[in-house]
Amino acid sequence: MYKYSEKDKKIIAGRVKQFRNQVQRRLNGKISEEEFKPLRLMNGLYLQLHAYMLRVAIPYGELSSRQLRKLAEIADKYDRGYGHFTTRQNIQFNWPKLPDVPDILEELSKVEMHAIQTSGNCIRNISADHLAGLTNDEVEDPRPWCEIIRKWSTFHPEFSFLPRKFKIAITGCENDRAAILVHDIGLKLIKKGSRIGFQVFVGGGQGRTPYIAKKINDFLLKKDLLNYLEAILTTYNQLGRRDNIYKARIKILVNQLGVEKFKELVDESFKKLSDKKLELNETTIQKIFKFFELPNIKHCNEKISISSNQKFNNWIKQNTIPHKILGNSIVLISLKSENRPPGDANSMQMYKLANIADKFSFGEIRVTHEQNLVLPHVKNSEIYEVWNELDKLELATPNIDLITDTICCPGMDYCALATARSIPISQQISNFFKDYGDQKKMGNIKIKISGCINACGHHHVGNIGILGLDRNGKEFYQITLGGSSKQDASIGQIVGPSFSSENLIIAIKKILQTYQKNKSSDKDDFMTVFRRIGIEEFKKNLYDNTGKTN
Amino acid sequence: MIILEKQTEKKNLYQRISQDEFSVNKIKTSSMLSLNQFMEAEKRIKSKNLKVGIFLNSDQSLDCLKDKLELFSIIQINFKSFKDGRPFTMAKELRKLHLYNGEVRASGHILPDQFVFLLRCGFDNVEIDGKEKKEWIELYNMDEGLYYQP
Repeated sequence: MYKYSEKDKKIIAGRVKQFRNQVQRRLNGKISEEEFKPLRLMNGLYLQLHAYMLRVAIPYGELSSRQLRKLAEIADKYDRGYGHFTTRQNIQFNWPKLPDVPDILEELSKVEMHAIQTSGNCIRNISADHLAGLTNDEVEDPRPWCEIIRKWSTFHPEFSFLPRKFKIAITGCENDRAAILVHDIGLKLIKKGSRIGFQVFVGGGQGRTPYIAKKINDFLLKKDLLNYLEAILTTYNQLGRRDNIYKARIKILVNQLGVEKFKELVDESFKKLSDKKLELNETTIQKIFKFFELPNIKHCNEKISISSNQKFNNWIKQNTIPHKILGNSIVLISLKSENRPPGDANSMQMYKLANIADKFSFGEIRVTHEQNLVLPHVKNSEIYEVWNELDKLELATPNIDLITDTICCPGMDYCALATARSIPISQQISNFFKDYGDQKKMGNIKIKISGCINACGHHHVGNIGILGLDRNGKEFYQITLGGSSKQDASIGQIVGPSFSSENLIIAIKKILQTYQKNKSSDKDDFMTVFRRIGIEEFKKNLYDNTGKTN
Repeated sequence: MIILEKQTEKKNLYQRISQDEFSVNKIKTSSMLSLNQFMEAEKRIKSKNLKVGIFLNSDQSLDCLKDKLELFSIIQINFKSFKDGRPFTMAKELRKLHLYNGEVRASGHILPDQFVFLLRCGFDNVEIDGKEKKEWIELYNMDEGLYYQP
């Protein structure tokens, strides 16, 4: 794992001091809320429906047990005993008090964590494949690249007041688990001959106007990465719209100019403004890569033994993946149990999980963009024990990639922007489809739920997307079908008129019936069937049978 | 208003001219001209071999001036809002692309928290309310000179 250098420590400590000063000036009335807002946002502090919300970065999703304990401690000391893991590998605390926030940031800095640039119109936390460095299908580990970009983007003097927020994600393999095509910049490590470089995609995003990112560079040399990113950002900072917040993201600029024109401007800026000092040399790159070497994992032939316990067997089938080192497994911990909002973990779970990680997974934990956690290196011989411990904590729900593994935003229960609740919908789904056997029959399927058109719950890229709307004070839900955030990314299509929360489950059931009916083999998952038969077939069965359900 | 260069207060050597008082013949080396005033006076500035100041708003582009930068002893970029980050790129391009080595000044709605960012992008100084001087210096001093960028 990455370890802070003396310089990192000083920069983070300096930031805490500066934020303390800003909070003091706000509390003394020296700066207005309008002026304070971008300053607090650059430190991850939002003003929500009921209280402030602090968003802490978990860069590229990697956590140590020591860091997880600190998050648990903060949840107990300054919040209401829980935290919420988000779709961008952050954790949110929903109830901190403004005068406490500098203290929270100071405590975080002691375990090499921060909330810098987790919000605001700047370059946000860089996210990555949560299985980075663990699988054989990878060209190269994306985490060191995330760390290189994290440094370059932190307090960038030119890019701290962009037209709008800016998100970068990186994947190291063809099988995209980082949703790079719905990011402002998506980077994919690829191999060309014997050389490794980046494919660069730009202008993806969700929100009100969803777009799939477009490729603007087929093979960027590693040494040029920062100069090229700088060229993209310079172009965007100059030309991105600032007159309308809903048209300010880079996706709008790319689409207004056309991708060819945008690429031309970036290439020109890259040619004219590239700075030798930003070029990455092999020594610097190798130094960062050193931090991400695998711990001392033993290679062996041990297989997971079949148990008489069906619950354990289901969990093994659903929540574990073979590690690239034989005899070990990657354990996915679902934060989608029936009884809690997706992505939530309480302090007791966090403390105990930190202990489990210490005992069985080299003290490492990962956070996925699908709001789950990972124990990256577990010996097959110890996996039953791990399951047993997780089960006691209600952290062994066997539903990874199944219908109840929903992505969900906080919705109207917390968020000031929301137009409908999303957590109760996700809980309805969890309850309705709780039987593992039933879920398994449905195969891999992604349901993603947003409480408003800002799409924090990624509904546009859900195989089934659900968008909460307000209609004359009543909550209604629009369904989209066929979205995907993988390498074959697509934006979901609206199926038709929206549904009341009571009718929503019936509608989902009918959609699933259409899918089941049209499967040509057991291997056909929802997306395969959807792409084969198209939305009309789903519409027909949905509305013909229910009439006007809304 | 005062001019602050790092921690030092500097005398303002330039005056803006209101449109009522503007006349091409009155232009001196200490004039700070708007873009329109400059375009009107460009011929005379060149013929008299003058160097003047130019005052741009954050939403005005530098593009039409890039071949005329030798006519300016100072370029003042006025932030319409502190949230409008374009001047940071404008300053960088002035220095790195156009190799402009005259004075670059920030004014308008700017915050002391932006002081170091401004200096690092190529601004020399800021025009601020004298009452805020202490705060600006305090935040400037809080910077320890440690950055991730070159």
